[in-house]
Amino acid sequence: MDHSVTPQYKIILCWGSSCQKLSSKSILDRIHQKIDELKMGNNVDIILSGCLGMCSKGPILIINPGYYIYGKITPEIVGEIIEKHINQNKATAAYLIEEDHLFNRFYRIFGDVKFYGRQMRIALRNCGIIDPESIDDYLSVRGYESLAKSLALFTPNQVINEIKASGLRGRGGAGFPTGYKWELTAQEKSSEKFIICNADEGDPGAFMDRNAIESDPHTIIEGMIIGAYAVGAQNGIIYTRAEYPLAIDRLHIAINQAKEHGFLGNNILGTNFSFNIEIRQGAGAFICGEETALIHSLEGKRGVPRTRPPYPATKGLFNKPTVVNNVETWANIPVIIQEGAAWFSSIGTKNSKGTKVFAVAGSVINTGLVEVPMGTTLKEIIFDICGGLPDNKTLKAVQIGGPSGGCLTKDHLDIQVDYESFAEIGTIMGSGGMIVIDNKSCMVKLARFFLEFSQSQSCGKCTPCREGTKRMLEILERITTGNGKPEDIQKLLRLGNTIKKTALCGLGKSAPNPVISTITHFRNEYEEHINEKKCATNDCSALIVYEINDACTGCSACIRICPTKAISGIKKNKHQINQNLCIKCGDCFDICAFKGITRR
Amino acid sequence: MLNPLDIIKKKRAEAINRIIGKGYFSTIRVYVGMASCEIAAGSKEVMAVFEKAIKQGLNDVYLSQKGCSGRCNLEPTVEVVEENKIPVKYGLVNKDRAKTIIDKHIKKGQVIEEWTIQ
Repeated sequence: MDHSVTPQYKIILCWGSSCQKLSSKSILDRIHQKIDELKMGNNVDIILSGCLGMCSKGPILIINPGYYIYGKITPEIVGEIIEKHINQNKATAAYLIEEDHLFNRFYRIFGDVKFYGRQMRIALRNCGIIDPESIDDYLSVRGYESLAKSLALFTPNQVINEIKASGLRGRGGAGFPTGYKWELTAQEKSSEKFIICNADEGDPGAFMDRNAIESDPHTIIEGMIIGAYAVGAQNGIIYTRAEYPLAIDRLHIAINQAKEHGFLGNNILGTNFSFNIEIRQGAGAFICGEETALIHSLEGKRGVPRTRPPYPATKGLFNKPTVVNNVETWANIPVIIQEGAAWFSSIGTKNSKGTKVFAVAGSVINTGLVEVPMGTTLKEIIFDICGGLPDNKTLKAVQIGGPSGGCLTKDHLDIQVDYESFAEIGTIMGSGGMIVIDNKSCMVKLARFFLEFSQSQSCGKCTPCREGTKRMLEILERITTGNGKPEDIQKLLRLGNTIKKTALCGLGKSAPNPVISTITHFRNEYEEHINEKKCATNDCSALIVYEINDACTGCSACIRICPTKAISGIKKNKHQINQNLCIKCGDCFDICAFKGITRR
Repeated sequence: MLNPLDIIKKKRAEAINRIIGKGYFSTIRVYVGMASCEIAAGSKEVMAVFEKAIKQGLNDVYLSQKGCSGRCNLEPTVEVVEENKIPVKYGLVNKDRAKTIIDKHIKKGQVIEEWTIQ
């Protein structure tokens, strides 16, 4: 393909429900027919996208390169559009629509449609587009307009009503409706209130918040200022990890720029509303992502959670009413104010509105950050957006929600991403980690990995979490080293369910999830480890046995590489491995050129 | 007293003017990804190559950093944007690729297909 001569056209047809009602299907037929007529099949890709959010002008058709948006198309005119645009390289002005939305600017800028075509970027709308250290760049994409709109046109109550009506729910994992949280704080009579941005992102494999802060810090600041106006707070704190130095630098830069421009400080934008933001760095304890522990940490106390209620919304930092929201939640606020609650609530499923960012990692071709409307299926995320698994590997499981979440199997691929459907199958939305697991990974070991993490991060305040996770981990260690007992599965389940019911905070309550869900879906692997002392994936190194077989030529390559001198033998004669010395590193297996070593 | 909406309108216009003043309407705009993930993959070196080329007389190029667009496995990324042309996004750019992009794409207008993200 040559960029300058015959462009590869990508036709994106909106396949949202409202466009479909308006005869998207017959439009699609007509597009196919026209392209066949023109014999342009090789130059055109047709992509059906999720709702593009321009329902009032639907059906919507976008032609790339160039991000030409056509609105109100019909089967009759679509032939003409294709003929002119693709055959004669002229856009049909009569049907073009101009939009200046805050979201979804990606096609026009990147052209990387396979990856971005099905995404809808609201929270990450500026990430990878603007210079994060330039407030001019942010202003040029309508930055701080939502703040101005809130101050000029809305009372604090109206802002809260707008957020309530939008259906936005906390993106930190638990999914509490944001507007109701704000309302609770707003109703409190207090001379001092706080706004907190929880950027203490600690899940292994999750990096949405870091990316959002590093790539578009002003969005979060703007969201927080709007929140402060709504609830009547004077001070805001961004609590982030000291391990995110660049994010902290960029936040400092952004806060200073916002102060210079009068978006922070006294009398914001000429009104009598004043608000300040400071940054606090956490020392990296996972528990400090829990809101009450986070507040303790801010107060200079040890970062341990406390019982709720009272919720921070009424008694938070220094016992003052405090709104704590996650980075991604704050990033959604400016768009909701600008585009309206009705628009926002048109995206997503019945009880989960808007989009969710996932950090997709593991055995998948395109690892990365993916923001999709709620209701997108796992299959679409993993296979359509992220390109599926590499090297013809088969999908075994998807781990969602990190150490607090659980595993899904390939039978769950058609599940729509939202808070309720995840809860139904025993996992949680979490903050958005998504790890794709192929057949080469052992689920018992995976469960052990996550439990090891939660256990090491348990603050120790409550017994179920401190003792329970420790005992569960001991059992898992026993199983993965070949010493499992038949009753261990039952023990794990009983302990796990007890911890879930009795632990003090979210960390403890969710810590058994990876174990329980892997037992639910992959019980046979546990049984194999316990009864046959075998790990089918050879992932649990302690269960592997290396032996020398008759193909051995006695070349002594393995003798030389073995780090523990476990292999012995005379040259040109079959060697032997001393199992007591073998540390199962597998170096001999890798170096043998004659397949003379068996691994089982 | 201006109302907040008027203030922001004015600020936006001023910001756009300053961006244009920095050469936004150059023939070619080059964006280098500079979030910590991209930096870890080597984007500072790539940025340095473009900065050096501009210092040494590469004309009419607007160079800017940008955040991360979430294309983890293809970082560092570099985008070359020209008005009325398809934006070209290169993945896995290193020092040498950056030099080649300057020589072939920016100076001669030849897109290096095999490095683009499609």
